[in-house]
Amino acid sequence: MVVFFRAGSELRHRLKPDVDDYTRRVETTPGKSVREILKDLGLDPALIAFLYVEGKVRTLDYVPAEGQSITLQPPVSGG
Amino acid sequence: MARGFAGTTLRIDLSKGVIKRLPTDEALFRRWHGGRGVVAKICYDQVPRDADPLGPDNVFIINTSPMSGCLIPGGSKVEFGSVSPLTNGQGDSNMGGHLGPALKFAGYDMLIFNGISPQPVYLTIDNDTVELRDAAPYWGMKSLDCEKQMKHDLGEDFEIATIGPAGENGILFSCITHDFGRQAGRTGQGAVMGSKRLKAIAIRGNRSIQVHDMPGLKKQVTGIIKRTQKHPNMEPWQKYGTAFFIRWSNDNGVMPTRNFQTTYYEDTDKIDGDQLVEKCLITHKACFGCWMNCGKYTKAVIPGKPEVHLEGPEYETGALCGSNLGMKDINHVAYINWLLDNLGMDSMSGGGVIAFGMESFERGLITEKDLEGHALRWGSLDDVEHFLDMVAHRRGIGDWFAQGTKRAAEKIGHGSEKFAMQVKGQEMSGYDGRWAPGMLLSYMTSDIGAHHNRSWTITVDMAEGRESVEGRAKIVVYLQHIRPLMDTWCICRLFWGELDITPEEIVESLNLITGWGVSPEECLRTSEMVWNLNRCHYLERNRANGRTFDYPPARSWEDKIPSGPGKGKGVSREQVEQMLDEYYAARGWDRDGNPTREVLEDLGLKECADNLERIGLLGKAIPGGIPAVRGEKYKPKAF
Repeated sequence: MVVFFRAGSELRHRLKPDVDDYTRRVETTPGKSVREILKDLGLDPALIAFLYVEGKVRTLDYVPAEGQSITLQPPVSGG
Repeated sequence: MARGFAGTTLRIDLSKGVIKRLPTDEALFRRWHGGRGVVAKICYDQVPRDADPLGPDNVFIINTSPMSGCLIPGGSKVEFGSVSPLTNGQGDSNMGGHLGPALKFAGYDMLIFNGISPQPVYLTIDNDTVELRDAAPYWGMKSLDCEKQMKHDLGEDFEIATIGPAGENGILFSCITHDFGRQAGRTGQGAVMGSKRLKAIAIRGNRSIQVHDMPGLKKQVTGIIKRTQKHPNMEPWQKYGTAFFIRWSNDNGVMPTRNFQTTYYEDTDKIDGDQLVEKCLITHKACFGCWMNCGKYTKAVIPGKPEVHLEGPEYETGALCGSNLGMKDINHVAYINWLLDNLGMDSMSGGGVIAFGMESFERGLITEKDLEGHALRWGSLDDVEHFLDMVAHRRGIGDWFAQGTKRAAEKIGHGSEKFAMQVKGQEMSGYDGRWAPGMLLSYMTSDIGAHHNRSWTITVDMAEGRESVEGRAKIVVYLQHIRPLMDTWCICRLFWGELDITPEEIVESLNLITGWGVSPEECLRTSEMVWNLNRCHYLERNRANGRTFDYPPARSWEDKIPSGPGKGKGVSREQVEQMLDEYYAARGWDRDGNPTREVLEDLGLKECADNLERIGLLGKAIPGGIPAVRGEKYKPKAF
């Protein structure tokens, strides 16, 4: 299945967007959490503060559905 | 005069009650760019080295930049500066809101106060009409109450900055408050304002600011607005602000907990951002020229206490007045935030001071007898409320804590300096550096004492390896140049740090406004100039080798983290020394932490080199010379 990860700022460079400036198309197995998918991509989940999915905050244990767009929110660089 | 300036600087002698209008010194701004750069240079040139920061010879400056009030994303910031009573070095702090643009719209770039008024006064600026007025009706009022009353008396369209009882009473970590929740909190600028018996500033202006290339600026800013509106991080920022990072900080073992004793707080879910949104949020709030509206206007509702309204708590206050005090209810954290705001204390240093008091109480170093019959226990809101009243009015041992944790530890003794969590007198921000060595080095070497906004490295620490200190100095030097540039330009850091506005775009804006034609490289060099100037200023006032002042409290290297994901982690004394050696080398300073003549003259600061030489603190020449490029762009390995 396919999901779309979106990220900005420093995290964008790590994500390596391929759809537009912020978005990467990711093929994965249904049932995997975002944390597991990030590990598959070689991205350290610790660098992500929370997920933003369809207007709601989610934890990294969120299991995405086919075609969903997931924003990876990095920590604020000094509150 | 270049475009982007209002054209006039006001010099206000409070001792004599005289207000002078001077043409703004464009050459000074061209060299130091505005904001904190100009403030640092004026303080260096005009404040005698032996002047009491709370005496008549200190200056108190409110400054803007050519970008203030000019459509620029986040161009709302206004800079406050003076020699800090907290650190005894150059101090600056800034706030968002609307004050800086209002000052420009009224026709002024900068206000410079000196002297001490014989009686409390406030300054009103209403375009050409500038007056010092009797502040007797407002003296003694709390900050938020005073702002509300002044808006009632003068008009809602006045932008107002006030101090509270803390500033009036010389509490060294006093802040300046504006817009019911924006604070210039750090370095005790509110104490300096209070020492001059200046209660408030009220500004109303309706003039325009001329820019060099208006079509070019509109085109550039329109492009930025369109781009950032599509940015993936924009909507989360708008909805949640910074408080949502508390959980992340805790999960990653950097959360200051019970006075930095550990870095994991078991009750984080009770004080996290989702609690704030669910229980406290009233509405979102934005500064001038901002479409991010990261400010959260909130209420605290607690049985037996009045319902109070405030802005925040954002991340820093949430951490330092939440986990760091052992609070278990977001309403209690918000209430402490409100107490500090209304008394006029920095909620970051304030959280640090309360936490230090709580640990001192836990250890029996201060007792209920010292606290007028009250306790000071982790998690007790009533204890905090009583303690802050003692501090704000300097009653009993409240007077010790009114001077910050460093001086309070000197009074308390019994080794308490080990857990007075400050550097150079300023309390640490809301991240523990024991498992983030770059962050610890950032605190150690910050020119204004421990403050995260000069350099924040935690994700770099993660990428580079959190047990290693190798190479951390170079990233800290780079960040110490680029991040404070935002304070020099008087723009909000979040557009750069979080929404991918590049420094090159900001410099282009500066050039479109002024026609100066500066380069990003020149701006970074200016920032390095400011950093070295402030270091020299600090050494000239405090008269010892720089290295002496750059150590964190011993808890930072003696105590391993006792719990949570960072359990057993920590830096050693040897690693602290290694980081300092590497940092000084990266700056072209000698091993004592003193700037060398070679680096100072390279930056056009010969006068500083001469001054350091005169007092025996000029750095020894470095064999092989200084690095040609200091603060070069640095990319973590993971990129």
